[in-house]
Amino acid sequence: MSHWRQHPLPWLIATVALASLPQLMTMPAPLVLLTLSPMLWRGLAALRHWRPLPSLVRIALTFAGLAMLVLSYGNLLGRRAAVGLLTVMLAMKLLECFRARDARIVASLTLFLCSTQFLFSQGLPMVFYGIGVSCGALLSLALIERHDSWGRSGQTPPSGLGLRRELGFGSRLLLLAVPMALAVFLLFPRWGTPLWGLPEQSLDARSGLSTSMTPGSIQGLFMDDSPAFRARFEGSLPSREELYWRGPVMWNFDGRSWSFGGWMRGLERQTLPNADAAPYRYEVQMEPNERHWLFALDYPGLIPDKTRLTEDFQLLRQRRHAITSLFRYDMVSDPGFQDSPELSIVLRNAALQLPEQFNPRTRELVERWRAETPNDAALVRRVLAHFNQQPFRYTLNPPLLSRHSVDEFLFDTQAGFCEHYASTFTVMMRMAGIPARVVTGYQGGWYNELGNYLLVRQSDAHAWAEIWLPGVGWTRIDPTAAVAPSRVEDGPLDALNQRRHAFDFPWMRQIRNGFDILDRTWNQWVIGFDAARQSNLLGIIGIEKLQSRDLALLLAVVLLLGSVAVVPWLKRLGKRRERDALLRQWRRFIGRLADAGVPVSAALGPLEVGAAAASHLPTQAQAARQLAQEYLAQRYGDEAGDREALIQGLKKFRARTEKHGS
Amino acid sequence: MKHSSANVSPQPTSNQHERRQLLTAALAAVNEVLLGKPEQVRLAFACLLARGHLLIEDIPGVGKTTLARALATVTGARYQRVQFTSDLMPADIVGLSVYRRDEERFEFHPGPIFADLLLADEVNRATPKTQSALLEAMAENQVTVEGTTHALPDPFFVIATQNPLDMIGTYPLPDSQLDRFLLSVSLGLPSPEFEKQLLLGEDRAHLLARMEPLLDQTRLKLLQQDCNQVRVSDPLLAYLQTLLAATRNQRWFQHGLSPRAGLALLRCARAHAFIEARDFVAPEDIKAVFPGLVRHRLTVIQGQEGSAEEQALKLLTQVPVP
Repeated sequence: MSHWRQHPLPWLIATVALASLPQLMTMPAPLVLLTLSPMLWRGLAALRHWRPLPSLVRIALTFAGLAMLVLSYGNLLGRRAAVGLLTVMLAMKLLECFRARDARIVASLTLFLCSTQFLFSQGLPMVFYGIGVSCGALLSLALIERHDSWGRSGQTPPSGLGLRRELGFGSRLLLLAVPMALAVFLLFPRWGTPLWGLPEQSLDARSGLSTSMTPGSIQGLFMDDSPAFRARFEGSLPSREELYWRGPVMWNFDGRSWSFGGWMRGLERQTLPNADAAPYRYEVQMEPNERHWLFALDYPGLIPDKTRLTEDFQLLRQRRHAITSLFRYDMVSDPGFQDSPELSIVLRNAALQLPEQFNPRTRELVERWRAETPNDAALVRRVLAHFNQQPFRYTLNPPLLSRHSVDEFLFDTQAGFCEHYASTFTVMMRMAGIPARVVTGYQGGWYNELGNYLLVRQSDAHAWAEIWLPGVGWTRIDPTAAVAPSRVEDGPLDALNQRRHAFDFPWMRQIRNGFDILDRTWNQWVIGFDAARQSNLLGIIGIEKLQSRDLALLLAVVLLLGSVAVVPWLKRLGKRRERDALLRQWRRFIGRLADAGVPVSAALGPLEVGAAAASHLPTQAQAARQLAQEYLAQRYGDEAGDREALIQGLKKFRARTEKHGS
Repeated sequence: MKHSSANVSPQPTSNQHERRQLLTAALAAVNEVLLGKPEQVRLAFACLLARGHLLIEDIPGVGKTTLARALATVTGARYQRVQFTSDLMPADIVGLSVYRRDEERFEFHPGPIFADLLLADEVNRATPKTQSALLEAMAENQVTVEGTTHALPDPFFVIATQNPLDMIGTYPLPDSQLDRFLLSVSLGLPSPEFEKQLLLGEDRAHLLARMEPLLDQTRLKLLQQDCNQVRVSDPLLAYLQTLLAATRNQRWFQHGLSPRAGLALLRCARAHAFIEARDFVAPEDIKAVFPGLVRHRLTVIQGQEGSAEEQALKLLTQVPVP
């Protein structure tokens, strides 16, 4: 009938497709097909004027869809399965979407589907996704309504009605909801854990450091630009050489990979740096990663709630308190702290443990060096010098290593990244009888001047070694720095001075950095708005220490008041404000008559309105009729009557309804 | 009510004010004969003033002839009635040439169509050929017999009737022919009170015989010209266009009103406004003539109930008046 761009259907289908996009990416292929085909069918049906499918076929399809869902997910109770059900059924609803009513349902459900996606991710991209779906749904709804109402009034929609106006209309409606949404956001009672009770392993697998380290294992992280955490420092920023964010510490080596000793995790740290004297104070905001580590610079002086500090300075969350949502903690660090001037025999043994019959060539080399340089510090320098002088290369794509990984690395390939160097160095130290361990974590970070915080990405993952020297305690040695000092100074990728992928340009990174500020702001103000912040905020306006129940009550009151305030606005929004003052007053006049029970509508001519008013309001018959006559003459005749007087007359007219018994 | 028709006898010169008064009197006079049908009478007059022709669809015996005769009488028109039958030939309507032996030439004998007001009773009973002769005359305002064109009287008004129930042996008029009729009305049965009045009152034939002409053809022509002076404002035109568009959007009718029908609607509305003694068209005028205009022109879309007229009334309640 009209141009396709003004037809609601293409927009509706596009909105459904957009809304199901995140779900589609996690669904098995048959279900993806099942979701996409109704959209295709409905589009073709519109183009080819197909008739709706028979209801039996639709019912059969519904059950087939259900069966496929059950087959794919096992049951329909999980979050993924439930959202999958919603997605598939919403797409199938398109099959019978031939009337305004159905279209309206579909458009509204896309909004619902969109909101369910926040169960899986609450990051900034989801905000843009949400905005996109909302725009699509609003546009579709506006077009549906326009189409429907124009059709019903028997008028063809004017061709000039642009999409921008439709979208504007939808946005204005949305604007009405903003105060309400804000009220709900600010006042809704908040618990420590999300309402829907996230099971611990529910988040889709995320990358990050793991509990074991095989040289090459964190390679994938270097390509991952997603933020690991952000730190905002009070006062000055530490120099880059001090930005070692301590994570999992590895003690056990089985010849190939490193892991931390099971019992080592149980050891609690006894002596801590003095928190008050620590030079670095900062607040860390961690992205959810399903893990238990908190990251801190050497050496952490505070232990956040529900966290413990192990002997080797790992900050570990307690069981069942993995970081499943954005997590903030305050931290202090004292780099000058002396870690374990004395080493117990048990730990010493653990730090010297090496599997037999691995890496014979390295063992031979180390034993030779040890004989030549008995001094520990001198030996360390010699090993580092070896890394420096021999043609070792820093590369993110090292050759594969087999059984004697250290031997092969040290003598044959001589190419690798931090893990290889840290692992090799630690093994060599242990062979030399110096207690050593591998520390993984992050190194460096990108300082965002605009937001004044340090962003540490997954790609900043790093591994280094720690050796224990008598009287000095555990000392950090970063063998990677000996090979590629720029790795520590500039980060792993700049150290390579090459692009990671085809789209890695400096300006792209700039954009990403800008985006990160937004991301952090979103995290800080929206996702991170927890019970404590809520209480702080309410404290500002003098409401303190509210129980959940009181909050709910307050919210209900605010919503109620808000609704009352919005209703008149809403009533006016439907009607465009008439430019012509006379016509505007006339319409209000009709509106008031209708409110008083006179059967009038916009479809009545002035004389009909006058007659209806006269018969229903006997006491005002004369006045009403006169107003109607005058209006008719002024609007349709060329009589130059007193326009202002008529406007005033219409304005002042109030229907006096007869009351019985008075 | 007796009107002072004696002192307003036709005068060659007349001013508009006087013509209006006469028109009002004429309406009142017809309403006196045809009881309880003021709207239909007003539509008939509007049709007359808008230089159109009227189609009355109704069962026999509800006053179709009475209306035609009364109209003819008060307007001072020469009245002819033709009962259409299946064996009626075109020549029976338009007339024929007869050879005059004494003068050695053909002489044209005008048929009943050469009247100011023609009542074509049961127009759908005649064969299409005969129908088209009448309808052609209605459209062209002239008839051509054997190569000679004869002009019809200037205010020329046809009232055709159809019985909507008895369709056996009829030739229904095609849409294009129906379009020649400006308005179509249905008289319907009188309400009980008027029926009582009718039963008790004088014979209609006597009343008709006593009626006096209030207008004449000259005045009628002037009145028709007066209607053209009726002002049409922009909002009203917008309303009219909205209505036209509404008939065309395939929600109400199978196909909408043509632009010619739009012009007809405007002409009717003007005439109606003039009868209502206004010098501008009000939305009510459009609404009053709209169902009569749609009635015989449009077909209700499939799946919808009710007649075209009911559909038109429903449509009118949906389109807002600007």
